[in-house]
Amino acid sequence: MKRYDLITPEGTRDLLFDESVARRTVENKLEKLFKNYGYSEVITPGIEFYDVFMLKSRYFAQESMYKLSDAKGRLMVLRPDSTMPIARLAATRLKDEIYPLKLFYNQNIFRINPKDSGRDDEITQSGIEIIGGDPKRADMEVLNLATEALKSVETEDFRFEIGDSAFFKALISRVTGDEEETEHIRELVENKNMPELKIALKKYKENADTRALYELPKLFGGAEVFDRARNLFSDESTLSVLEDIKRAYDYLCTLGYKDKITVDFGLVNKANYYTGLLFRGYIRGYGMPVLSGGRYDALIGDFGSSHPATGFAVNINAVAGALLSKNSASLGQIPQVLVYADKDNLEQGFIYCRNLIAKGIKAENSLHASLEEAKEYASRKGIPVIDIVDKTGKSESIRKDQSI
Amino acid sequence: MGDTIRIALTKGRLEKDTVKLFEKLGFDVSAVKDKGRRLILPISDQNIEVVLAKAADVITYVEHGVCDLGVVGKDTIMEHGGKYFELVDLGFGKCKFALAGKKGEEFYKGYGVKTVASKYTNVTRAFFEGKGMDVDIVKIEGSVELAPLLGLSDGIVDIVETGTTLKENGLEVYEDVAPISARLIVNTVSMKLKKERIDRLVAMIEEKLEEI
Repeated sequence: MKRYDLITPEGTRDLLFDESVARRTVENKLEKLFKNYGYSEVITPGIEFYDVFMLKSRYFAQESMYKLSDAKGRLMVLRPDSTMPIARLAATRLKDEIYPLKLFYNQNIFRINPKDSGRDDEITQSGIEIIGGDPKRADMEVLNLATEALKSVETEDFRFEIGDSAFFKALISRVTGDEEETEHIRELVENKNMPELKIALKKYKENADTRALYELPKLFGGAEVFDRARNLFSDESTLSVLEDIKRAYDYLCTLGYKDKITVDFGLVNKANYYTGLLFRGYIRGYGMPVLSGGRYDALIGDFGSSHPATGFAVNINAVAGALLSKNSASLGQIPQVLVYADKDNLEQGFIYCRNLIAKGIKAENSLHASLEEAKEYASRKGIPVIDIVDKTGKSESIRKDQSI
Repeated sequence: MGDTIRIALTKGRLEKDTVKLFEKLGFDVSAVKDKGRRLILPISDQNIEVVLAKAADVITYVEHGVCDLGVVGKDTIMEHGGKYFELVDLGFGKCKFALAGKKGEEFYKGYGVKTVASKYTNVTRAFFEGKGMDVDIVKIEGSVELAPLLGLSDGIVDIVETGTTLKENGLEVYEDVAPISARLIVNTVSMKLKKERIDRLVAMIEEKLEEI
């Protein structure tokens, strides 16, 4: 039998030292930000019933979920997403709370990626959900927090993108009612697959709607996009959505992100629970969005208690990775002092070390059986000072430059 | 923006056709033409870096964002899938996926589950799934035409250009599966972060393609 006791499963990894520090740094920054804005943390189970992710609209592809069964043979999954468990929570245990609910989370999700794709199957996500409240105000709050979140972890080099799937939905509903065909065209718009989109639209009589559908993927960029968009949309409902997005755009400009925001009218998310404003955050050096979110007004209703809601999640793995590659210097904490005591003075050594730590000095008690080993350890770990403690509790220091 | 854009080309014919296209656009492709054994080559007057890779790897590099753009055949895109923008049909490298088999036989006749041999198992699976038809798929790496001749399969799904190989082996096309041509693909984040540069390049390419 082949054994796999020396490796981790594909898509997972052990995080060592600096990698852990980078991850916790990002998590802590976001936690602080969310708390400062009055959000409360929730933690949901790592294992959920399969049914939670298999609602009417089939939000998750079953082949992307890790499945297991419980003692009664019921199908369970490793949580592939945090928003749906939180929607479940909101519709059940929190349904009598005072609204709006402002929740944040920091937990791992699990998704099966295609074999050998080099993507993480286990991802730590930090995010917020606003459940209830006036949708316009909640949208503004969520946009502010999302950009603040990016700024707090990646001060300069990020891009923020907004869109709304309403444009696609309005246009496609007038072109075809066929569900499969709609999904096919949605995919082409999402992937900006212009050649195939042209072919797919040829099936229908050319009119303003098919032309607008073909333009949709190309409608992204800065403020100039709004003028182009206005020429494409004719009906009241899409025009009013357009005004909403314009307002969101102007609002983000007011917040000071003018050179960082883009609008993309071709933003039509696969996770189909989104019903309104959508947004994504990008950082240089990571080939996928590191932040994504939007409005999902129908989702909580699927669990039986209807509330408008919005939120976003940050991919901590990605952001921590970027932080790590930028800071080549060690993020880890090297002790200032290594304390060594002879075998006859062990107690003195430990007391001495404890006193240093109590004074706020980062000290490490040497667990080596000889001074030579302790010196070797200090020099390899870059600890600058060794304090040698005698039986009276007094110490003699060896500095790095002397010991080498 | 002064960013370099990196474009991955599928080695071989698509690479040559793309370089020809760049030449028509007036780019300085001398380094790419005189490449020797190098795999990363500059088009210095455009601040573009050309990377030469195998077809499937072009997709991988673009998907992960280490290359901004890629030129790859629709055949590879259909077989490998992935997440990127498929922006332009470059028009060259034209051929098709087709279902073929021994001349004069009817593939769809009878109740038995058919066996189909192909190097492109995902394309084959998607094609028959679309028809709601169960088939056994056998992966063949080399000359897939052998499979029906040796009696391993009832048909094959393969790339057909002129059809000469099929004819010479007593096979014929039963049905077209999908047309193929070279595509320009773009990493989803590059498209946003390097929009101006990519837009400009794409506009130039599209304009040139219309002329041809």
